[in-house]
Amino acid sequence: MIEAESLVKTYENVPAVDGVSFTVKEGEVFAFLGPNGAGKSTTVQMLTTLVRPTAGGARVNNFDVVKQEKDVRLSIGVALQETGIDKDLTGRELLVLQGRLFKMTKQEAEARAEELLRVVSLTDAADRRSGTYSGGMRRRLDLALTLVHRPTVLFLDEPTTGLDPASRIEIWNEVRRLNEQFGTTIFLTTQYLEEADELADRIAIINHGKIVSEGTAEELKRLVGGETIAMTFHTEQEASDAAMAFGKTASGLHVSFELDALTLTDVVRRLDERMLQPERLTVKQPSLDDVFLKVTGESYEGGMPNVD
Amino acid sequence: MWTETWLFTKRSMLTTIRNPFSFIPNLIISVFFLLVYTSGLSSVASLPQFEGSAYLNFILPVSIVSGAVGGAGGTGQALVRDIESGYFARLLLTPATRTAIVLGPMIAGMLQLLVQTLLIFAVAFLLGLSIPVGLPGFLFTVLLAIGFGLGFAGYSVGVALKTRNAQAAQAGTLLFFPLIFLSTTFVPKELIEAEWLKVAATFNPTTYIFEGMRAVLTQPTIDWGALSAGLAVAGALSVVMIVFAATNARGALKQK
Repeated sequence: MIEAESLVKTYENVPAVDGVSFTVKEGEVFAFLGPNGAGKSTTVQMLTTLVRPTAGGARVNNFDVVKQEKDVRLSIGVALQETGIDKDLTGRELLVLQGRLFKMTKQEAEARAEELLRVVSLTDAADRRSGTYSGGMRRRLDLALTLVHRPTVLFLDEPTTGLDPASRIEIWNEVRRLNEQFGTTIFLTTQYLEEADELADRIAIINHGKIVSEGTAEELKRLVGGETIAMTFHTEQEASDAAMAFGKTASGLHVSFELDALTLTDVVRRLDERMLQPERLTVKQPSLDDVFLKVTGESYEGGMPNVD
Repeated sequence: MWTETWLFTKRSMLTTIRNPFSFIPNLIISVFFLLVYTSGLSSVASLPQFEGSAYLNFILPVSIVSGAVGGAGGTGQALVRDIESGYFARLLLTPATRTAIVLGPMIAGMLQLLVQTLLIFAVAFLLGLSIPVGLPGFLFTVLLAIGFGLGFAGYSVGVALKTRNAQAAQAGTLLFFPLIFLSTTFVPKELIEAEWLKVAATFNPTTYIFEGMRAVLTQPTIDWGALSAGLAVAGALSVVMIVFAATNARGALKQK
């Protein structure tokens, strides 16, 4: 559905995107994960015909993003990082106009507007100027505008940046619903590891205009090793006995190591055999933060912001 | 493309009507000019070069054209607002052509100038305007005004798209104000004394708009030569500016 081949965009000799290639399959949710300025938005702008690539190319829905701009635009829905809403028009007026611009008749556009207003729960505010809407309402209207023409591929550029946690979860649910119910292919960018982990089938980590790693969340996490088990015992003797059972050494009351081929059941059985009972036992999954640190050598500063 | 253009025009008109302060001050200033010029300068019309026409008829085009320049600036500013709100990017993502996207606001701007011109005429009639050639004089003046207005709205839209900056869009139209006055603004060409100003007036497209309007407002019979020159200049200006605006529409995204 989306094929990018060595995409490059240079601004005044500085590469914003520096040779990015990837493929997104039909029905997939694909996330571009990276910090601010990594080149996420520029990639979206190239894929959605807003900006011409300096080099390389891409096809969306089998249309060339440079040579078949109009076909690309007809088949995709795009919600840019900043909502694109005229505050002087009402939600309904914006939706109807959007439908008309996507070749619907007046009646079709009005019916579709009504339907979408219901979907994003804006029916009550439909005839108020959008300038009076709250941030969350604007984001929902923006998403509705993106969906007017029932696009098969959806581009969401940082769909939840700046939203409060409740609105963020609303958007997540909407994204999942679109993907599951309509099979919409979704390309999303995000600075939030949790968001990529939560929504995406596959993730590409982008940093300084380049993809540094790509795969499912599981695959990426495996890059930094498997799960880690950590146990705490009542006495140092117990701890060192337990450590020996796995060929490790204890540090004080604590024993921790990577599980590798072992399963949690193996661990518990082996402790049982030796009549050892840990006071506490935790299994830690590697996080995407760990992955980011591992593949870029930089610690990740995106993180979920604290929203009041 | 025409459906899209009409949709964009309608939308721009709605936005204008919902922001009355974007056009009311300009309208007041145009009427103010008309009042001040006629009250302060009308006695110059007794000079023989005016060939007996009333000064009100002679100065009316200045009020209309300066009103058009001021009004057209608003069209560019509306576009800058769209770029800043991100709505312009959303429009670029629809299958609509770039030309339709820029033509909509331009036509809305032109219609706004039409209304404005009619109101200025209404005031002029209240001041005792009488047009020797009658209705055609009125209609051709309005035609010239909206032709020039369309061109100027295009210029303002083009500058807005190029600079993506409200102040620059405004400054771009202010630059045109001198052009109004480097012309046969207040007196016929024969009365301009400075040689350089005569030259400037000859090359200034505004002169041909003034002359075209005066050809139908001040003479007992229509001066078809001056009128067609005026119409040709207005038409050419519109076409050039539509192209200028449309070529700048690409990539006019908000800069970070």
